Amino acid sequence: MDYMITTKQLTKKYKSFVAVNNVSLNIRKGSIYGFLGPNGAGKSTTMKMLLGLTAPTKGSFTIDGKQFPNDRLSILREVGSFIESPSFYANLTGKENLDIIRRILGLPKSSVTDALELVGLSEFGGRLAKKYSLGMKQRLGLAGALLGRPPILILDEPTNGLDPSGIHEIRNLIKLLPGLYDCTVLISSHMLSEIELMADDIGILNHGHLLFEGSLEELRQNALQSGFAADHLEDMFLSMVEQDNAARKRRAKL
Amino acid sequence: MRTFAMELRKEKRTGIIPFMLAVGILGAAYAFAFFLVQKDTLFNLPLAPMDVLLTQMYGVIMVLNMFGIIAAACMIYNMEFKGSAVKKMYMLPMSVPVMYFCKFLILTIMLFLAIAFQNLALTKIGLTDLPQGAFEFEAMLAFAGYSFITSMPVLSFMVFVSSRCSNMWAPLGIGVAGFLSGMALAAADHVLFCIHPFVIMLKPAAAMSAQPDMIVVMFSLVETAVFLSFGLWAAKYLRCE
Ligand SMILES: Nc1ncnc2c1ncn2[C@@H]1O[C@H](COP(=O)(O)OP(=O)(O)O)[C@@H](O)[C@H]1O
Ligand SMILES: [Mg+2]
Repeated sequence: MDYMITTKQLTKKYKSFVAVNNVSLNIRKGSIYGFLGPNGAGKSTTMKMLLGLTAPTKGSFTIDGKQFPNDRLSILREVGSFIESPSFYANLTGKENLDIIRRILGLPKSSVTDALELVGLSEFGGRLAKKYSLGMKQRLGLAGALLGRPPILILDEPTNGLDPSGIHEIRNLIKLLPGLYDCTVLISSHMLSEIELMADDIGILNHGHLLFEGSLEELRQNALQSGFAADHLEDMFLSMVEQDNAARKRRAKL
Repeated sequence: MRTFAMELRKEKRTGIIPFMLAVGILGAAYAFAFFLVQKDTLFNLPLAPMDVLLTQMYGVIMVLNMFGIIAAACMIYNMEFKGSAVKKMYMLPMSVPVMYFCKFLILTIMLFLAIAFQNLALTKIGLTDLPQGAFEFEAMLAFAGYSFITSMPVLSFMVFVSSRCSNMWAPLGIGVAGFLSGMALAAADHVLFCIHPFVIMLKPAAAMSAQPDMIVVMFSLVETAVFLSFGLWAAKYLRCE
């Protein structure tokens, strides 16, 4: 199997608190990988490590066969990313913001229009980023990640703050991406119902532990075996998390 | 070079560049106005005409520059933290220390321009109002260079501080505290107090002679380099966590 991103026993501790605990992910080339977990599970922390924003306490990972910190520039050239809240220069317009990123990546001018169009922001390119609504900021962040159509996309809850039609639109866009050009997408969410509509593979994280990793099909099989209806995967996800939390409490009491 | 051009683009609408130019022009205007009003009093002081010209107005000009530097340094990094733009920069294939250095360079150039404006005004006054033959161009140039070099530690220090504080009020507060403590310490004439970057900047204004003090120059150069390397080092190793 050809993996684009693999992590081995990736661990991040903040003082004594373990935010990410021995997580080993395998993300297939050309797939959409849904990274699922409730709030505070450690999804963002994992992604920050992948982008070199914070150093792992333990463990290692490779992205397209390359590692931090030696290949930092070469990794970041390949990865389009969007972590937590959108980042932008408040004093610049949407277009100028993307132009800064374009210059850093050394891309042609046309890539800015292309990215604006992809996220449906063409009309508002000339407006100051600080005057954008939350949803528009989110789209701008997404455009920044998609700029130059990078082979790897790391998107952290990209539909946060969007209205239902916006969520639908962005979801469709992400679903189309691997067909549009050759790319691998790692996308996180706290809602299985959202992820199941676009992901090929799924990893479920709770309190820093990876509870499940496999294809959507395997998750469905799993659900059937444990007595959930296959069309109620969300219930299965919630009960999986609940069981893990209960086991955690029992252990804590002992 | 590419990063430098990009940093200039980013300054758009932040007002940092016009602001620093305004500091220069305001300083120049102050010199003209003050000289116009106080001319007779100034020449009755027991000082050489060149010393009068260079030191008697420098106090206010220097305070103006100092607050210019403090505010500009806060603004130049505040725009990175507002909208957490700097987080995106960390995730792009570029060097964060180079970005830091470009910001440092932009402020240095703007300070240089501001000081150039102010000294052009002093030159103009010197040529027209000083007694015949009293104006010395070399002393003028030496003092201009001296005031620029002694201002650099504060600039270097303020860029470093504001690059580490995501809240703009923190570096602003540190700047004001630096100014106040500098004022208190500058009066006590002790060489060790020169470690304080604000004391260094106040030195030429506290002196009665326009002759550059080489010890102060040495302190300035060392501190500028030290704070700059702190900033570059921190930009490389301490990421936003
Ligand atoms: N800088 C930090 N210092 C201390 N704890 C942190 C820090 N960043 C995140 N955490 C903690 O790590 C846990 C995982 O956070 P995060 O990765 O943001 O979760 P998710 O993105 O899955 O909602 C949370 O409990 C959070 O409080
Ligand atoms: Mg998160």
